[in-house]
Amino acid sequence: MSRQGRVRALRYAPPGDLEMTWLIARRAAIDALHDRLSLLMGVAFAVVVPIVLVLVILRPLVASPSADGEPSLGDMLAFNLLVVGLLPTSAAIGIASGQFAGEKERGILTPLLASPASNMAIFGGKVLGAIIPPLVYAVVADCVYALGVAVVLGPAELRLLPVWLSLTLIALIPAVAWFAASVSSLISSRVRTFNAAQQIGGLVLMPVWGVVFGVAAKLANWGPLGMVSTLAGLLVLDVVLTTLAATTWRREEVLAHR
Amino acid sequence: MIEARSLRREFGSVVAVDDVSPSVPDGTILALLGPNGAGKTTTVRLLAGLLAPTAGEATVAGCNVRIDPAAVRSRVGLVTDTPGLHDQMTPWGYLNFFGRVYGLDDDARGRRIDELLRLFDLQEFGTTRIAGFSRGMQQKVALARALLHEPEVVFLDEPTAGLDPLAARTVRELIVGLKHASRSIVLCTHDLDEAERLADRVAILAHGRIVAFDSAAALRANASQETLVQILLAAPCAAAVSIAERVSGVSDPVVAHTPQGPLLVYRTAQTQRTNPHVISGLVAAGAGIVSVMCTTATLEDVYATAVGSPPTDVVGAGA
Repeated sequence: MSRQGRVRALRYAPPGDLEMTWLIARRAAIDALHDRLSLLMGVAFAVVVPIVLVLVILRPLVASPSADGEPSLGDMLAFNLLVVGLLPTSAAIGIASGQFAGEKERGILTPLLASPASNMAIFGGKVLGAIIPPLVYAVVADCVYALGVAVVLGPAELRLLPVWLSLTLIALIPAVAWFAASVSSLISSRVRTFNAAQQIGGLVLMPVWGVVFGVAAKLANWGPLGMVSTLAGLLVLDVVLTTLAATTWRREEVLAHR
Repeated sequence: MIEARSLRREFGSVVAVDDVSPSVPDGTILALLGPNGAGKTTTVRLLAGLLAPTAGEATVAGCNVRIDPAAVRSRVGLVTDTPGLHDQMTPWGYLNFFGRVYGLDDDARGRRIDELLRLFDLQEFGTTRIAGFSRGMQQKVALARALLHEPEVVFLDEPTAGLDPLAARTVRELIVGLKHASRSIVLCTHDLDEAERLADRVAILAHGRIVAFDSAAALRANASQETLVQILLAAPCAAAVSIAERVSGVSDPVVAHTPQGPLLVYRTAQTQRTNPHVISGLVAAGAGIVSVMCTTATLEDVYATAVGSPPTDVVGAGA
């Protein structure tokens, strides 16, 4: 590092990348949790959807015995863990869209861009900040779902949940939320408006959710190794995508659009 | 301290800033003037380490903006033309967040936030959501954010825009205080009076280039060596123009008919020599003299000339 002229010692030393990332993520997550529309949608996904699912779909299903070739009740219960957990993660698109394109539109991104935070810390923090609120909603959703099953169908039904499948499906939720937040942040950081970011993000991620549900439906047949491999594959994809997006993002791209 | 050499920034085919070389020693204020789109904001962003220059070099607080922009950003404070605040946060929460980002420990953060909230008369509103704040209050929070980490160089883009006169005065006093604390300050403003009052140097930008750079007084002096003399007469004097024409060193004498009365107007570079001759000639011709006013070029005239718009005719419609 070469510097010209006299350089005074810094009175305050900015934190390292990890701490900076966490600071930005926490700030972004708190902002998202304070947003009334996101909060309303989150509560609807986290509370209403699981209850409706248990009452409207699962209760009649338990009452009538499954025919040959249909998935077992245990697999069905496990699959719905993914369904109720994954629905709130769609909020990651809106949050990530708001964090780059939305903040740019409102003129509130510049102070952070003018700070000593690195590109990686800003991008990583924004991605993490877009994951945390949906995951909070997802945890609540799965708890409400499990409680609903226990109350409406009886606690014994919970014992039907296949352990490996259930764990894999639950672990898929943050992995998919991470993927959604990375893709949405990637788009949001490169378009000019919040609406454009949200629309493009939705269009790109809709097929991804289809693929995830398709894969999840087949997971029970793949055994523990197949489940772990699928999960590991998605996590590797998340790491690669986030790293690629963060390293190719330049703060000046945000300011360069005139 | 800011030292820049031939900064240039292109956005695609558009050259936003070209061959800009401002220098701002410690303890001085540089005012950047220019019409919208002249390159002021881009210049500030280049110097604040937000944008990399396409060409040229700049050293800000001892750090090279091209080689170490992060070090530059940790040593400068920036207030943009919009406050850029998270309106769901409180001033305290907002400043606390940026205090952490700039690395202030808990004690320093608490102390600085309290100091700045007190300085800007915001201590009562420290825990009130920013959403309900007036533009002026928001601007104060933005200023507090820029000063939180005690930066060596401060960039202020329209810092008094939207502030009431007393708040604007507080900000101006603060800017002068920063100058006395040996900070280098770059002030982007459309308020020429503010620039003249505060700045040690003025740079006028047009089409991305600095077209004038000096102290306000020197710019005014260089803009016109001549003084505009306006003599208000009590009654019409037919010989007024010919009397002025006879005095060497007087140019373009005319009589304008104003509501106050006939106004003899001329230009001269030697007021001390020419004015007594003209006035004694007028008196000898029986003209009553109501007032004499001498005007040199204003910063507004300099600005208008520099950005390519002719100065307003001071004589008025009656000339």
